[in-house]
Amino acid sequence: MANDVGASYQVARSPRKPLGLRIARAAQYGILILFALYVLVPFMWVIFTALKSNLEIAQDPLGPPPNWRFENLAQAWNQGKFSRYFVNSVIVTVPIVILVVSLSCLAGYGLARLKMPGRMLIFYFFLVGLMVPFTAIMIPLFYILRDIGVLGTYWAMILPQTAISLPFGIFFMRAFFSGLPYDLTDAAKIDGCNDFGVFRRVMLPLAGPAVAALVVFNFMGSWNAFLLPLIYLQSDKLRPVMTGMMFFTTRWGPDYSMSMAGTLIVMAPIMAVYLVFQRQFIQGLTAGAVRG
Amino acid sequence: MTDSIRQFFANRKLRDYATGYAFVIPALVMYVIFVVYPFFYTIYLSLTKWDGAKPVKEFVGFLNYERLFADPRLWSALSHNLIWIVLGTVTPVAIGLFLGVLLWRGVRGMVFFRTVYFLPVVLAPVAVGIIWKWMYNPQFGPINSTLRAVGLDVLAKGWLGDPYLALPAIILAGVWGYFGFCFVVIMAGLQNIDMEQIDAALVDGANGAQRLWYIIIPGLRHVLTMITAFTLILGVNVFDIIWITTRGGPGRATHVIATYTYNTAFRESYVGYGSALAIVMGLVSLVVSFIFISIRERGGD
Repeated sequence: MANDVGASYQVARSPRKPLGLRIARAAQYGILILFALYVLVPFMWVIFTALKSNLEIAQDPLGPPPNWRFENLAQAWNQGKFSRYFVNSVIVTVPIVILVVSLSCLAGYGLARLKMPGRMLIFYFFLVGLMVPFTAIMIPLFYILRDIGVLGTYWAMILPQTAISLPFGIFFMRAFFSGLPYDLTDAAKIDGCNDFGVFRRVMLPLAGPAVAALVVFNFMGSWNAFLLPLIYLQSDKLRPVMTGMMFFTTRWGPDYSMSMAGTLIVMAPIMAVYLVFQRQFIQGLTAGAVRG
Repeated sequence: MTDSIRQFFANRKLRDYATGYAFVIPALVMYVIFVVYPFFYTIYLSLTKWDGAKPVKEFVGFLNYERLFADPRLWSALSHNLIWIVLGTVTPVAIGLFLGVLLWRGVRGMVFFRTVYFLPVVLAPVAVGIIWKWMYNPQFGPINSTLRAVGLDVLAKGWLGDPYLALPAIILAGVWGYFGFCFVVIMAGLQNIDMEQIDAALVDGANGAQRLWYIIIPGLRHVLTMITAFTLILGVNVFDIIWITTRGGPGRATHVIATYTYNTAFRESYVGYGSALAIVMGLVSLVVSFIFISIRERGGD
């Protein structure tokens, strides 16, 4: 590994050795392509398998489909009730993202810029929540949600998913608002803005990139959530795509082409959105690590 | 009454405080009801014996905790978490660092490679699990089929059915889904490394390994700590990919603390004992966070 590292520098630094340079370049590209294949080849096989018949899979598990059976996707879509699963995912994800982002912006701003007794105490109180894993609260939450009568509705996912996402959201937005200059607030206050006006008219418009990152992060978090809907959205009517996909592939277990077609249906939209909004995805999903 | 309210709002300081609290209270209410209260409720449940259905929760004191220490299934689950944490941290970070350094100075196709490496990161762990369950399929799975196609039939195995291979096999699937994240974060960190130091080291005749060890890794210290924290927390909490691929099997070979807790509380209906396991999980998480914070404080500038 270390030698290759050295080699790559040599390439950029000293163009004196043309042969060595070419070998190093080739090695560098070879390694980069190898890892690209590690990522892409499993996707290729998912697509191949999804578009073959089971007989064709048994005859040749590796090669491309002899006939590209796109009708498999339509069949999986209908058999798997995926339209309902997708609608369910949208119904729970949209309110979760709106609630998490708006509550985090409010609380993050309050904790960063407004005076109140016990401000740091409240902030640390939220921070402790970053250390509490969902598993540590998932058991009584089931009975709490049952007792307040939301089990069997979408709220059984919306409420807890919002709550467990708040500590990070508040931490993130507080860090952002703390970094904004004070001159802006003072100027707005002299112009007669109250605290909420300052927040809404001055601070929030500046928070665009941070809000975008938080939206992506929470959208992915709740869209991809699995354990939470597995416990609280057990009814097939409420099931979002992730648990829906699990039940689908379990039911169609040995029917490999059906279960891969179902998987492809679930994966394709998110991958398409990623390819279009690549930069926002990467920023949003790495936001915690890069800024923290 | 109205007078005192008017007086309250006339007091500028108190009015400011009220505004501050108004910003914070909506989040605080959600957080207290659905995170803080359940956490204490878990502690209470862990002191009871309950099947989740009976009207009465029988108080048993620390009985569940006494059973925990003698429970070999807990220790095996925790050891699997530890393996997951070590392999699941070292491997993707090493790959990410390696690729990051290769791409650092920029090559043609940079955007392509970054897009590809990050691709599995946007997938749900559930999807990653399903993809790799197919890859490892003993009968027609691509891995065994490839081995057979090149004449290595002896190496074809039921990867997820073998108690020794199942956990490493799932970790490899996890690495596939995660190394792109490490790569992108490390790339961001590399942008902050001082090029003049590298040039100076080159003049002094430092080789690649020396530059990596003495300049690049120290320069990435902050970024590497962040990633380690992320992967540690993921390693403690891992559930989805294991539940999808093996449900903890074969036997108990791939059970981790989260799958064991879920299974105990919701499938076997030992709510009290499951809650005690959940508390163990909370404690492990707390210790891990604490270690991370103290490392960061010491390593910080």
